[in-house]
Amino acid sequence: MLTLPSFEWAMPRTVAETIAALSDRPGETLVVAGGTDAVPNLKHRLHEPRVVVHIGAVRELHFVREAADGLHLGALVTLAEIARHPVVRRDFPSLAKAAGLVAGPQLRNMGTLGGNLCLDTRCTYYNQTWFWRSALGFCLKKDGAVCHVVPAGKRCVAAHSSDVAPVLISLGASVEIVGRGGSRVIPVDEFFVADGIHNNVLAPGELVTRVLLPARARGMKCGYQKLRPRGAIDFPMLSVAFAARTANGACEEAALVVSAIAARPRVISGVPTLVQGKALDESLAEALAQAAYKQCHPLINVPYDHDYRREMIPVFVRRAVREAFSEVET
Amino acid sequence: MPAEKRLTPPSWPGGRAAPPNREFQVIGRRNRKIEGLAKVTGRAVYADDIALPRMLHAKLLRSVHAHARIRSIDASAALAMPGVHAVITGRDLPEYYGIIPWTQDEQALCEEKARYVGDAIAAVAAESELLAEEALKRIRVDYEVLPAITSIEEALERPEVRVNEKAKEGNVSKHVHLEFGEVEAELAKSDAVVEAEYWYEGSTHTPIETHCAVADYDATGFLTLTSSTQVAHYLHRDLARVLGLPTQRIRVIQPTVGGAFGGKSEPFSLEFCAAKLSMVTGRPVKILYTREEVFYAHRGRHPMRLRYRTGIRRDGALTGVDARIAIDGGAYSSFGLVTTYYSGQLLTAPYRMSAYRFDSTRVFTNKPCCGPKRGHGSVQPRFAFECQIDKLAEAIGMDPIEVRRRNFIGEHTRTVNELRVTSNGFPQCLDAVERASGWAAKFRRLPYGRGVGVAGSMYISGTNYCIYPNEMPQSGVQLKLDRSGRATVFSGASDIGQGSDSILAYIVAEELGLDPGDVRVVAADTDLTPVDLGSYSSRETFMVGNACLDAARKLRLQVAESLAERWGCAADQVTLAGGVACSTRAPDRECMSVKEAFQIAEARHGTLGSVGWYQSPKLGGDYRGGTIGASPAYSFTAHVAEVDCDPETGRVDVKKIWIAHDCGRALSPVAVEGQMEGSAYMGFAEAIFEEQVFKPAAPGHGPGLHHGPSLLDYRIPTSLDTPELESIIVESVDPEGPYGAKEAGEGPLHPSIPAIANAIYDALGIRCDRLPFDPPRVWKLLRAGDARARWERARAQVRGAAPAPAARAG
Amino acid sequence: MESTTTAVCRLKVNGDLRECAVTPNTTLLEALRYGLGLTGSKQGCDKGDCGACTVVVDGEPVLSCISLALAFEGREVTTIEGVSLKGRPHPLQDAFDVTGGAQCGFCTPGILMSAWALLRRNPAPTRAEIAHALSGNLCRCTGYTKIFEAVERAAATLAGTR
Repeated sequence: MLTLPSFEWAMPRTVAETIAALSDRPGETLVVAGGTDAVPNLKHRLHEPRVVVHIGAVRELHFVREAADGLHLGALVTLAEIARHPVVRRDFPSLAKAAGLVAGPQLRNMGTLGGNLCLDTRCTYYNQTWFWRSALGFCLKKDGAVCHVVPAGKRCVAAHSSDVAPVLISLGASVEIVGRGGSRVIPVDEFFVADGIHNNVLAPGELVTRVLLPARARGMKCGYQKLRPRGAIDFPMLSVAFAARTANGACEEAALVVSAIAARPRVISGVPTLVQGKALDESLAEALAQAAYKQCHPLINVPYDHDYRREMIPVFVRRAVREAFSEVET
Repeated sequence: MPAEKRLTPPSWPGGRAAPPNREFQVIGRRNRKIEGLAKVTGRAVYADDIALPRMLHAKLLRSVHAHARIRSIDASAALAMPGVHAVITGRDLPEYYGIIPWTQDEQALCEEKARYVGDAIAAVAAESELLAEEALKRIRVDYEVLPAITSIEEALERPEVRVNEKAKEGNVSKHVHLEFGEVEAELAKSDAVVEAEYWYEGSTHTPIETHCAVADYDATGFLTLTSSTQVAHYLHRDLARVLGLPTQRIRVIQPTVGGAFGGKSEPFSLEFCAAKLSMVTGRPVKILYTREEVFYAHRGRHPMRLRYRTGIRRDGALTGVDARIAIDGGAYSSFGLVTTYYSGQLLTAPYRMSAYRFDSTRVFTNKPCCGPKRGHGSVQPRFAFECQIDKLAEAIGMDPIEVRRRNFIGEHTRTVNELRVTSNGFPQCLDAVERASGWAAKFRRLPYGRGVGVAGSMYISGTNYCIYPNEMPQSGVQLKLDRSGRATVFSGASDIGQGSDSILAYIVAEELGLDPGDVRVVAADTDLTPVDLGSYSSRETFMVGNACLDAARKLRLQVAESLAERWGCAADQVTLAGGVACSTRAPDRECMSVKEAFQIAEARHGTLGSVGWYQSPKLGGDYRGGTIGASPAYSFTAHVAEVDCDPETGRVDVKKIWIAHDCGRALSPVAVEGQMEGSAYMGFAEAIFEEQVFKPAAPGHGPGLHHGPSLLDYRIPTSLDTPELESIIVESVDPEGPYGAKEAGEGPLHPSIPAIANAIYDALGIRCDRLPFDPPRVWKLLRAGDARARWERARAQVRGAAPAPAARAG
Repeated sequence: MESTTTAVCRLKVNGDLRECAVTPNTTLLEALRYGLGLTGSKQGCDKGDCGACTVVVDGEPVLSCISLALAFEGREVTTIEGVSLKGRPHPLQDAFDVTGGAQCGFCTPGILMSAWALLRRNPAPTRAEIAHALSGNLCRCTGYTKIFEAVERAAATLAGTR
């Protein structure tokens, strides 16, 4: 079978212990929660940590709490729990839907919100065994110097592949990060950077501890659409999240996020202006589809032709917008 | 190479199809499989469930180049690691082997050249898998990288780059050209001729169990190898050859096998290497392939480029069929000689064709070796041909089911290439799927995006010759019966999940009046069981079933004669059924348990035992290759598939497949349905999802890298993707099958793909001539040309609103 | 644990407290199969893509091949060996046997674990719910049809309606 490398083990019980464990060996640790992304990556030797810090027993990170400022979700809430949580389903249905579309049932029972946010980027030249990558000559994300997607490129373009992240961005969610120096809360949108090698702002020793879905996002009209070959298991080959607030039939604000194309989710620019005062309808869906089509250029980093994926962007944007205004899951 | 005299199995009064008593007691019932409870409770023992004391674990070093000369291998650093016990290379196992005796071109470990990325070149035995893997990284191989051939075109255009030195000419693995009748003259008589090119992408078996072998070479010089194989006998022979051991010093055991589908039907590197490493270290050695390695071991469906020219007359009669087929074989021969013949030979029923020609060429390329995947060699041409028939039907304005019906070849007849056809229930299959699917109300009548398609096929029930020439039986059974009331069947047959062990138990139970649970089956252990050639070409039910039927009938006769003597009646007045032996003339009085009956027979005849064997009759055409494709019986299948397509995305949702299959007599309806459903599923999977493909060379890397050797990137369907499957068993009752049975394991795969392709045409007006029909391909076809207009025209034709298109459509 | 050396892992498996020697990189599947001799759970894909290794932890199906054994100390693990009732097959197992839901049988333990967990939280699932619950378990033999029938049959048996 595919083996795991040797590593040391830490299983902290609290956030403080976790931070201590991470700070103990800066840069040599790997945080594992559900393990659904980290363990296969370890088997592929994509991570080669000295220490695995398993946070599954940090109970203070496992909570769902409604508060005046919104819904607080601990980093260890599983994707299955999000998908079936009545409050999430009522107030943030696109998030429940996205969580319910991750991989298969077992992975959703294991995978956590924090883990899905911190999901490593994916690329068909990267998510392979050590042997396969050695036959490739490796790539610049791990062990090599060349990008096989953009051969002249200097920057890794592996695809952000989290289902929940684009939805969280569309809903204006924020994320809490704890490190040795204390904690900070930043918008989920700012959590990600356009670097496929390490596509988020987490510094060594830092940990995602919670996500806040703002109260103002409750009841937004929203939709999530995912392109994948099979009805389960597959990562998104394209994903679209849309959310809009309407009043008296007109849009006040909206966000459209397209992902699984580059290292970070793409927030389609110009959308607030585009939607302002307009009815949420087919013609707005079409305008949003065209805006996304112009701004997004998929690469050959994940399966399915990049040109096909690009042509699917307007289709999936239209469907996500329709889902929002029809309030029926499609 | 038939000898003067060929063994002929005994004939039985009333024939093989008849029940031993007035009606069947076990056969045809929905019985449990004999190993079913062991499987559902997790107790069944598969190869990787075996752990022997002191067992070492071994791993294979594989080539990182698609084509490279091996200048030298330095394993000293690996050998120096504590816990590493042995390293072997090609020099330790230089003997060539191969499943077909005329094309032995493989070595367990490449000695001089690696021929694909993943070709095995060394093996390490160590205390753990991790240690063995670490040791692999310390083996230094000095490669001279050679130009690599990765397509059929390159293989033919660059004969100077020799992929496989055993090729007689350039990169041609096998070329077959056969013509039956005057093809051009027949084509000229056609009212419509359709010519089209098809591309069948390669695919792989993907059993959920990866290959695993455990070798134990003991102090007496005796090797025991337990392996997840489906051909224990051929493995036994090749082990002896490669290891230089006499066959009588080797025992091959097949444990429970976790799926195979043809992917375990020849010897693999792991079996030789585990054995050799056990011989070198004196300790048991296990090799368990990773999922990635299974993609390199491969032997899956050959990619084929197929060009067909097919004619039809206005009355629906097919005229001439002309096929040119190019086959991508990968780096080695495997069963390729047979594949090349099968690509042409197995097309000639269930439809009559007045003349037929095929020209098939298999080439070597620097990719994992292709071989026999369920429906070996004939799934690809069947796809193309059934699409051709759909196009021809449209060209003459006839319903495609009707065209198929009109060309029915008949029962007890011969095909254009001289295959003997016995029972044939194809028309009943067509009727069944037509009725069940509601065809008349759907074909060309569903709204845009939805459609139905039909296709048919035939397949062999075993081949009529062994892979290596000999006149010994193709299948043998020994049967033991004793005073305990229990029977034990010893059989070399290979149960890979299809249920052959249970079939043996049912036959014995039927003949001897036992409960199937009172029959033990000892199978596929070369020390204990007589030879059966293995689980391939859908031969087990037919061949080992016949062998078992004979063994059981011999014992039944002994028991019946003993009772007849006691009761003073005739032996044929004795019945053994449901645990009771009695006479038909006075069943109340002349009656006892079968256990008592066995005791009387044992007292009368001495220790009870019998043997049975099967050897097919001499079959096939009197021409070179004429025996390839000849089978004692053929199964027939028809499918209707219904699809719901999303024209915006190109996604094809196969909603349902109706499967009607003529399996002769269904000895176990549950098993037959399971084979039908599993086959239809696997065909659907190839149609929509699966492709074993490789990344082209790019500035950063060489060619021949598998696109994604994992179950994440090689996407087999989940429970949410698989269509509803409805099985309809058609029983034609074959005169030569055991109780009339024929095959069910491979035939029902064939029509899935063309039925889906034809349904997509009905739904969208596009012809999917290239596999798989995945969303990007379908979407592109929809964007090219006037698909919607073709869709409108096709519907108008059926409604009689438009004239049939001109002849010579395409 | 501070090193890569062997430790004792205490697992609660099928109601028994079991101990086995592991290293931090031992998966739960390896601990069960090779440490505790519970070979019913299978390895099919190496890395969480096929579901053959599915076991139930605290009522929920998880993939033991990508689970690290040490993280499961103190949790309730149920494997296929724990589904049988004192050696007698559970109605679900019986239903798989009767309907032909197992062919080669290799995916079967994993599928049974997903189905077992499903029936515990939803005793009367629809076919769509069954398909959804089993969508992380790949079967290569059956085309799933007889598996669906088996789960439905078991549900009926357990409900006393069959």
